[in-house]
Amino acid sequence: MQPSSKPHVPSTLKRAATPRTILALSAVCACNPLPAAPPAGQLLSSQCFQCHGTNGQPVSGFEGIGGENANEMYKELLEMSLRKPEGIMDLQIRAYTPAQLRLIANYLSTLPKTSESDDD
Amino acid sequence: MNTNRRDFLTLAGFTSLSLALPRSLRANTTPPHVLVIGGGFGGATVAKYLKLWGGNIDVTLIDRDASHYACILSNLVVTGAIPMSRIQLGYGNLKTKRGVNIVQGEALSVDPASKEVTVKIGNDFFAYAFDKLVLSPGIDFINPAGNYNSDLTPHAWKAGTQTLLLKNQLAAMAKKQTFVMTIPKSPYRCPPGPYERACSVADYLKRKKSGAKIIVLDANASIQAEPINFGNAFTKTYKDVLTYIPNVAVTEVDSATKTIVTSQGTFKGAVLNVIPNQRAGQIVANAGLVNDPTGKWALVDPLSYASTLYPDIHILGDSQGTGQPKSGHMANSQAKVCADAIIRSFSGEAPDPSPVTSSACFSPITSKTASWLTASFQYDPVTKAMKRVEPSFAEAPRPTSDGMEQMFHWADNIFADSFS
Ligand SMILES: Cc1cc2nc3c(=O)[nH]c(=O)nc-3n(C[C@H](O)[C@H](O)[C@H](O)COP(=O)(O)OP(=O)(O)OC[C@H]3O[C@@H](n4cnc5c(N)ncnc54)[C@H](O)[C@@H]3O)c2cc1C
Ligand code: HEC
Repeated sequence: MQPSSKPHVPSTLKRAATPRTILALSAVCACNPLPAAPPAGQLLSSQCFQCHGTNGQPVSGFEGIGGENANEMYKELLEMSLRKPEGIMDLQIRAYTPAQLRLIANYLSTLPKTSESDDD
Repeated sequence: MNTNRRDFLTLAGFTSLSLALPRSLRANTTPPHVLVIGGGFGGATVAKYLKLWGGNIDVTLIDRDASHYACILSNLVVTGAIPMSRIQLGYGNLKTKRGVNIVQGEALSVDPASKEVTVKIGNDFFAYAFDKLVLSPGIDFINPAGNYNSDLTPHAWKAGTQTLLLKNQLAAMAKKQTFVMTIPKSPYRCPPGPYERACSVADYLKRKKSGAKIIVLDANASIQAEPINFGNAFTKTYKDVLTYIPNVAVTEVDSATKTIVTSQGTFKGAVLNVIPNQRAGQIVANAGLVNDPTGKWALVDPLSYASTLYPDIHILGDSQGTGQPKSGHMANSQAKVCADAIIRSFSGEAPDPSPVTSSACFSPITSKTASWLTASFQYDPVTKAMKRVEPSFAEAPRPTSDGMEQMFHWADNIFADSFS
């Protein structure tokens, strides 16, 4: 299918001075390797971070979920997905299959522990 | 892909040569460049996670504004419960903590063949080249007929100056006056949002403007989200101040006189809050990517959010047409799926075959209580679509003060997860 309307291109177009400068600069310090294939469970676990903070480190309120024992975390997640829903957490967790909960528990266990979750 | 080198050179043209070459042909030192248009919940999140997970990827984020104002919590700005600063989200952390290139400018058009976006910065026009482009421009409006002017009858459905306009009009209402609002035809941004606004305004009128009323004109046949909580609020909590009318088709709006003509009569208010019907952000239309059957949204592959027309252009958030709810939580969720798929594609891998996405909305029902709505989605390989997981879909049993407290924690965390 073709675009239905011709995009508007201004006549005074400049050939991207800014972005090419940016690219040239970053090419100089390109010391990192090419992007690697993501670890298992990383994407699934990131769907917890809107509430529990990036990498399981919340900035406010809810529990940190990084760096817990993987087996205990898996048991807890499974339990929350099976009990009568008490709050929004118990509904969120029902999205995942047990195999996905396993991947999430394993991945979260590799993240740093937060001070909040040290308490329990 | 087997495109030979000479074809590629001819196709790409000279100016964007280095970026158009496939990675295998490019010097190892040149990182791939991902250009993101729109620094709201989808765009900010995809930029951040490309840098967090992606290693050596160059990411440029372009927004027309110097900072983003979140719609999330913005109904509380309208009633004066929280200040504008509470929903202002800057790009400083994405720049300094994550290394995202931040550019303030208006994207005008996309050329999928030469892989360039034309951007207006100040009075100048620039062509930005990309390996991958992500568009997350949110919504634009289908304005009603008549002398409609959103400066006079604000929608406040994009946060910022519109939010303040509505706040000031509400504050200026006299006792016994009427606030008239419309609810757009589904699908629109934030399914519970308009009902939440009705409750927030009703609560405000009850407390501050005795004898004032709110009339809610819904284009839909019934309450579109949280029917129990909003149903109870409309018929019990606010029964003395709120009139809800479903199945209202808007004929025309006269913003100067704050009058609206509809299939169910003509209404006039001291405040007229018309929330028009919605479509994908204009840049998606300019790029020729609006291709769903309704002619309003962009069809994408939900494994990567790549356009079904151009595999190197991705569309996220409110503008895409997968049928998942148009929410900030969902835009953030899709952005992570998209970032992961883009990173995989740079190392020659297929996207994750079984992504999960989620939506969560918290809605103030009174000044002390809030409810919530949540739904999650799994990829269905048979239909190649995201399918709602029914046991994950529910509204709060009732609005509570705990819900209000959770709403603010959730907002803090999703703001940070997207913008820092
Ligand atoms: C009253 C209200 C309450 C809401 N409450 C909730 C809630 O509780 N939970 C929830 O999850 N969601 C909520 N939402 C919905 C949420 O705000 C949106 O779904 C979300 O912002 C969509 O993200 P997006 O990335 O698609 O667009 P946006 O977040 O709107 O971002 C789009 C960005 O793109 C920029 N832009 C657009 N076009 C261009 C261009 N051509 N060039 C440069 N920049 C451009 C804009 O300036 C903007 O910053 C609410 C919405 C409203 C109106
Ligand atoms: C919409 C917000 C939200 C999302 C998304 C979310 N959670 Fe939660 N989570 C909560 C809330 C709220 C609680 C507190 C529950 C309670 O006390 O009733 C909680 C509690 C928890 C707890 C228990 C903490 C404790 O020790 O009491 C764990 C573990 C947890 N969540 C893990 C996860 C994982 C893993 C994910 C992603 C698969 C996730 N959460 C996604 C909101 C969320």
